[in-house]
Amino acid sequence: MGERTEIPPGTLYMLILKTLLRIGPMHGYGIAQHIQQISKEVLQVEEGSLYPALQRMLIKGWVIGEWRQSENNRRARFYSLTPKGRKQLAAEIAEFEKVTEAITRVIQPA
Amino acid sequence: MDDFFRRLRFYFRRRQFEAELQEELEQHAALSGRPKFGNLTLLKEDSRAMWTWTFWEQLGQDLRYALRTMGNNKAFTALAAMSLALGIGANTAIYSFMDSIMLRSLPVKDPQSLVLLKWHTRAVTFSRGGQPATVVYAMIGSVDSKAGSEAGKFPFPAFELFQKNDSVLSNVFGFRKTGQLNISIKGQADVAGGEYVSGNYFGGLGIPPAAGRLLIPDDDRAGAPAVAVVSLAFSQAWFGGDRNAVGASILVNNVPFTVVGVTPREFFGVDPGEAPDVYLPMHANLMIDDYPFGGGPAAMYLDEHFYWIEMMARLRPGIGLAQAQATLAPPFHQWEESTARDDQQRADLPALMVQPGGGGLDALRRRYSKPLYVLMTLVGLILAIACANIANLLLSRARARRREMAIRLSMGAARSRLVRQLLTESILLASLGGILGLVVAKWSIRFLTVLLEEDYLHPSLDWRVMSVAAALSLLTGVLFGLAPALQSTGAELMPALKEVRTGAVRSRSRVSLSQALVVSQITLSLLLLVAAGLFVRTLSNLQSVELGFNRNNLLLFRLNARQAGHGDADIASFYTDLQNRFSAIPGVRSVSLSNVSLIGAAGTGTPINVPGTPPDLSTRLLYVGPAYFSTMQIPILLGREIEERDLPGSPAVAVVSEQFARKNFANEDPVGRHLTMAGRDPRDMEIVGVAREARYGGLKREAPPVVYIPYRQGSQKLVAGVTYELRTSGDPLAFVNAVREIVHQADARVPVTSLKTQTAQINDTISQEIAFAKLCTSFGVLALAIACVGLYGTISYSVARRTNEIGIRMALGARRGGVIWMILQQVFVLTIAGLAIGLPAALAASKFVESFLFGMKPNDPLAITAAVAVLIAAAVVAGYAPARRASKIDPMVAVRHE
Repeated sequence: MGERTEIPPGTLYMLILKTLLRIGPMHGYGIAQHIQQISKEVLQVEEGSLYPALQRMLIKGWVIGEWRQSENNRRARFYSLTPKGRKQLAAEIAEFEKVTEAITRVIQPA
Repeated sequence: MDDFFRRLRFYFRRRQFEAELQEELEQHAALSGRPKFGNLTLLKEDSRAMWTWTFWEQLGQDLRYALRTMGNNKAFTALAAMSLALGIGANTAIYSFMDSIMLRSLPVKDPQSLVLLKWHTRAVTFSRGGQPATVVYAMIGSVDSKAGSEAGKFPFPAFELFQKNDSVLSNVFGFRKTGQLNISIKGQADVAGGEYVSGNYFGGLGIPPAAGRLLIPDDDRAGAPAVAVVSLAFSQAWFGGDRNAVGASILVNNVPFTVVGVTPREFFGVDPGEAPDVYLPMHANLMIDDYPFGGGPAAMYLDEHFYWIEMMARLRPGIGLAQAQATLAPPFHQWEESTARDDQQRADLPALMVQPGGGGLDALRRRYSKPLYVLMTLVGLILAIACANIANLLLSRARARRREMAIRLSMGAARSRLVRQLLTESILLASLGGILGLVVAKWSIRFLTVLLEEDYLHPSLDWRVMSVAAALSLLTGVLFGLAPALQSTGAELMPALKEVRTGAVRSRSRVSLSQALVVSQITLSLLLLVAAGLFVRTLSNLQSVELGFNRNNLLLFRLNARQAGHGDADIASFYTDLQNRFSAIPGVRSVSLSNVSLIGAAGTGTPINVPGTPPDLSTRLLYVGPAYFSTMQIPILLGREIEERDLPGSPAVAVVSEQFARKNFANEDPVGRHLTMAGRDPRDMEIVGVAREARYGGLKREAPPVVYIPYRQGSQKLVAGVTYELRTSGDPLAFVNAVREIVHQADARVPVTSLKTQTAQINDTISQEIAFAKLCTSFGVLALAIACVGLYGTISYSVARRTNEIGIRMALGARRGGVIWMILQQVFVLTIAGLAIGLPAALAASKFVESFLFGMKPNDPLAITAAVAVLIAAAVVAGYAPARRASKIDPMVAVRHE
């Protein structure tokens, strides 16, 4: 567990949005699991930041929540992407790539 | 926007949302196979915080909690809110005056583009004898001579010059005060203030009429029909409304005018210190006025050396002040140069200044800006003392709540959250103070308006003033709340938790903060007390100025028969007849009259001299009636006073003042010697008496040498209005009705004006000093009271804290007197620390008010000593009660006291 990296600040929204885009409607636990798996256990999403972030995205209108039956036969809130959320995802990815590229250039061996 | 509605929906269905969140989190826990999250509550709080209504919810909680705390400490709340209310109220009131005098724009179209034209020279000295030193031979009004000479009056040809040069200015309009006018409507007469305005005045200001039409350029020419515009207030007082006024006929100084329109309610002309009732076209003065220098009134439109018209104009779009001045200064200079008659006049020509005119004329601002800044500083100090006091009270309460805070911190409350809650409390307290402060402000404004005796000031609690009050409340709330809040939440947890009883902890730094607050209160109180001492002494100096006449039981009033239509032929007999009728009123001991009243006289220099000596312009002239000296009770030292027999045709006589006699005749007897007078009323006179020195022209000015001349022997043209003096037995105001009745019977067209007692008239001339003395005394007392409460609180707290120690001392044999002394020592240390800081500050600060003082230096030892003595006495009184309580401590109880 110790070698797991904190999610870089500001990227959590992007990760959640991308996850929803890839796997469709999903509950909070599923989103966290997915990010963990895809990142090969490098990125761990803490509940303490996941749920506040989801609430925030609900307010922003990037996702909508819907109660459905989950795999363990309990009710769970499934989040799914809205058109606004798609737009936001594109914007965040573009921004992220710009920054990454810039950082890469800075740290490249001369 | 969607955000907002989603939030709103959340807010109204927050129970459901919370239940859902709870369920969601439980589901998460179940899926992850962990029994529970570490801190479910915190997680929930954080998630909910995303909806940010939390902020308002917490505020609501804090407010409820604060209200409960305030309710539980009613005495504290009342005391704090009251002292804040006084502080905020006083500040708001003074600010409303500053706002109305210095910050408000004229209620006209686009005031920002208005400019005021003025000029300045190195020095203007008027001299009618000899050759004038500058091109300004004569001027209406006075120059402001702080740094060189500055004035806003121009000769009429200069006005025309600016109207022609229209590249940077448009609408150059002129105006001039009419002085007091006699208005007669349907047989009813009264006086009114008026303004002569150029035809483009109203157009230039861009104001619409309330009724009828305003003056236009065609009204302002010689020979145009006599028309007038009146103010709305005037139309309501005389005609019962603006509509009825239009078309009405009024007599202005006995000349018929037709009212063509009414100005809107908020319009008061261009001088915030005035509110003319009647606006007349500039050239209407040809029918009303007399030109003082010969050649008829038309001559003043041609005279290049008589400065009388004031001007404002509009900047053309895109033109700045500096550009306007740079463009207009050269042609003005050229014109001035063409009027100069010699090199001396050419050497110091008036130079043009273009100043912002959006606020109108600045006479009122000049007169009041400094007093208002001084008052603002004083009330600011009071507010500071009040804040320090409340901070101190809160500090001791914070000590009592340290355990509570420590417990909350240890339970995981964030410090910022606690500080926020404490600040909510203090701001709520301050808001309460602010609301009460508005009530205080309302009363203070009324009080100040009466004190300042400015009729046309209308300070009001408008939204600007209110927002200042609100800002002040907020600021003070943070100011006095922050330190105690930081302190009580910054405590180390363990010692605070271990505290069994509140207030038993010994922490040096905490006590010294509250002591520092007390010391600062004492310092500030000293400043206010010294100010009070200085102003009270100034007032008493002014009131003990030797007048040279008896001010008691003397009634003064003015009549102007000339304005009502009396001509040279009968004006003197009209006045004499009235004098006789007034004398016949039972209870009136003696009556006389003069062209102006002694104290109210402004006086221009008159070249009167003993033949063979150069004319002396410092001499002042007073035209008086028979029995003037006996009525005023000015003793005649040599010869006789002016009597009934000094009529036109009989030998011209004069009575001179002691000072005039000493100056011109040294030790010789002046009676029988002759004087010559040049200027407007030239003649030769014989001195028949010497009168004892009497105050001429106000209390503060150096008294000039005076020559008294019988008014009936003076040029009748010069004596237009007169002031009557009635020496009465008993209250002078009891004779007011009799006076009015007699004048009304003699001629209903002549209104009685400026009717007041001599004492009231003198007090009018020193109204600012009276206001300052009264205000500062109340400020000083207020500050002292607040500081004493602070001192009392601090000492009481210290006694409570030392109960144990004092008990032990007494058990070991300390005497009660010794205990009292021990506590009082503490009082002295604080007081002396405050004085040590305050005295140098007071010495330095008192220099700023030097110009307000009379008959004393700023560092008046008496005022400062008195302030220090009062402060020490008050401190001892405030400290004695807790000291005495300390001495009553029962050692047995105290030692057990934890």
